[in-house]
Amino acid sequence: MMRISNFLPLVFKNSFRNRRRSILTVASLALSLCLLGLLMAMYEALFYGPDPTPAQAVRLVVRNKVSLAQPMPLSHEQKIRQVPGVEAVMLQQWFGGTYRDARDPNNFFARFAVQPQEVFSIFSEYSLPEAERQAFVRERTACVASRTLADKFGWKTGERITFVGDIFPVTVELKLAGIYDDPNQNEVLYFQWEYLRESLRPVFGGEMDMVSQFILKADSPESVPRISREVDEMFAVTPFQTKTESEQAFVLSFVSFLGNLKLFMLAIGGAVTFTILLVSANTLSMSVRERIREVGIMKTLGFTPGIILGTLLGEASLMSLTGGLIGCAFAWALCAMISSAPIPFAQLRGLALTPLITLICLSIAILIGLGSALLPALNASRRPILDSLGHSG
Amino acid sequence: MTETVIQTRGLTKEFIRDEFHVVALDRVDIDIRKGEFVALMGPSGSGKSTLLHLIAAMDRPTDGEIRVLGQDLRGLSDREVSYWRNSHVGFIFQSFNLIPVLNAIENVELPLKLTTLTKKEQREHAATALKLVGLEERMRHLPRQLSGGQEQRVAIARAIVTDPDLILADEPTGNLDAASADEALNLLAKLNRDYGKTIVMVTHDPHAAGFATRVCHLEKGVLLESLQADGS
Repeated sequence: MMRISNFLPLVFKNSFRNRRRSILTVASLALSLCLLGLLMAMYEALFYGPDPTPAQAVRLVVRNKVSLAQPMPLSHEQKIRQVPGVEAVMLQQWFGGTYRDARDPNNFFARFAVQPQEVFSIFSEYSLPEAERQAFVRERTACVASRTLADKFGWKTGERITFVGDIFPVTVELKLAGIYDDPNQNEVLYFQWEYLRESLRPVFGGEMDMVSQFILKADSPESVPRISREVDEMFAVTPFQTKTESEQAFVLSFVSFLGNLKLFMLAIGGAVTFTILLVSANTLSMSVRERIREVGIMKTLGFTPGIILGTLLGEASLMSLTGGLIGCAFAWALCAMISSAPIPFAQLRGLALTPLITLICLSIAILIGLGSALLPALNASRRPILDSLGHSG
Repeated sequence: MTETVIQTRGLTKEFIRDEFHVVALDRVDIDIRKGEFVALMGPSGSGKSTLLHLIAAMDRPTDGEIRVLGQDLRGLSDREVSYWRNSHVGFIFQSFNLIPVLNAIENVELPLKLTTLTKKEQREHAATALKLVGLEERMRHLPRQLSGGQEQRVAIARAIVTDPDLILADEPTGNLDAASADEALNLLAKLNRDYGKTIVMVTHDPHAAGFATRVCHLEKGVLLESLQADGS
C-alpha cells in the first residue's frame, strides 16, 4: 500500500515553485482571512457575548419607545414601582458633556446622574466601602467612579472633576467620594440626580421633570419578560410610550444605533470570502494550467488521475491553509490590540479570536483552496495523456 | 522460442482532426520478442509515435488487437493502465520532460512514489539508477543545472528505476548533440545487451537506428518492412 506521505514533498515543492506568486497569493488569503476573523470575533463579541451575570440577569432598562434621545416623565417611576416583581427602580440620566479635551477619545466615558441611594442595590455586583457610599449619598456634589476609570486618569478620592455640559447647558463640578470595583471593568461615573436638577433649575426656570431611563431590578430572571411586557402595556396609551428590555438586549440595541450592523458585518464577511474565492481560483487555475504538460509526464510514469487530483488539491489546500494560519495570527493580534484600546463599546473589551472562530476561519481557508482548485484540477487530471503532453502551457 | 512481449493484429488508429479523417495506423501487425531492441523509423506522420503510444497504453486503438507483456491493453481501465505502466514500462521522451522543481534524484524517485518501497529504499534505487547512467555526482542538481545530455540520462534513469520489462523511447536523441546522442544510445544498447531489456525506439535518424537489433519502417500508417540488424 503506497503512503500519502510519499507525495507530500512533491506537494510542498509544487506549492511554492513560483515564489513571488505563492507569496502574493498567501498574503492576499492572509489579509482576507484576518479581516474575516476579526469581523467574526466582533460579531460574536457584540451579538453573542458572555451570558449575563446573576446581577445583570435581573436588570431591565426602560426608555422612551421613540428613541433613547426622547425623555420620559419622572412620574413614570411611581407607576413602574407598582408592577409586581419590581424590587427597585432608579432613574438614570445620561449627562454627556466634556471632560478636559473633547478631541481626545480617551476622555470619553459614561457619566450618569442617578439616585445615589439606589445605585448599589440595583448594581449589586459593585463593591464600595460603606464610608464612601455614605459620602456619595450625603454630599450633593459627590460622585463615584469605577476603579478602571479612576486608574485610567489617576484619580484619588477627593479629586475634583469638572464636566462642561453639551446636552445640558450647565457645568457640573464634582468631588470624587469613592471608587467602586466593577467585575465588568466598565468605565462609568455616577453623580447625584438632585445636583443636576438643581443646576438646571435657573436654566429651565423650574424643575426638570423628565428623564432618559429607568433602571429596574426584578425579583428573579423569570420575571423579566413579564415585567418588560407589563411596563410597556401600562404606558401604551400615553403620549410617552416606553420600551422595556433586559439590560443585555438594551446594550445590543445601543449597538444597533450604528445601523444594521449585523447585516453590514455579514455582507462584508460574505464579500471578503467571495472575493478571495475569485482571486485564489484565478491564481490556482493559472498555476494548474501552466503545469498540464507535467501532469501528462506524471501520468506517463503511472500516476492515476485520482493521485494527480489529490496532489493538486493538496497544493491548493497547503497554500490556503498557510494564508489562513497567518491571517488568524494577525486577527488574534488585532483582537488583543482592540480589546485593550479605549473604545466606547464595552462588549468589544471581550474581543477575542476564540478557538471556534479560528477553526471556522481555517476551515473556510481550506474550503476556498479546495473550491478554487477543484475545477482546474479535475480538468487536468482527466485530460488524456497525449493532450497534456502536447500542451505548451 | 523467445517470448513475444508485444503483439499487434490489425492495429488501427484513426483521428478526426479539423473535420479531416486521418488514419494514423492502418492494420499494423507486429511481433516484438523479449530482449529485442527495435527501432521504428519513418517520415513525419508515418505513425511511428502513434504505435509507440499505443504500446505504452497512453492512447487507445480505434480497432485491432494489442497485447503487451501478455496483457490485452484494451480491457484495462484508466486506473489499471496507470499501475500497469508504472510496473512494466519505462518511457523516455525526446524533450527529457523532467519536473523542473525536483532535483535529479527526486525526478528519478518519482515513479517509485507509487510503489510500496520505503523512503530509504526509494532513495537507494534512485541512486543506483543514477549511478548506472553515470550521474552519481549530479544527484542534487536541478534540471536547469544540467546539460541536455545529462538531462536525458536522468530521464533514462527515471525510465529504468522501477526495473521495467519494456523501455519505450520517443526520439530520445532528437534534442541532443552528436556526442550526447551517442552516450544516450550506448546506454540504451547497454540496457538491452547487459540487462536484457526489451526496447522500442522511435527515430528518424539512421545512425540511431544503427544501435537497434531490428529496424521497422512505417509509412502513412502502414508497416512496410522489418529488417534485422544483420540485414535479414
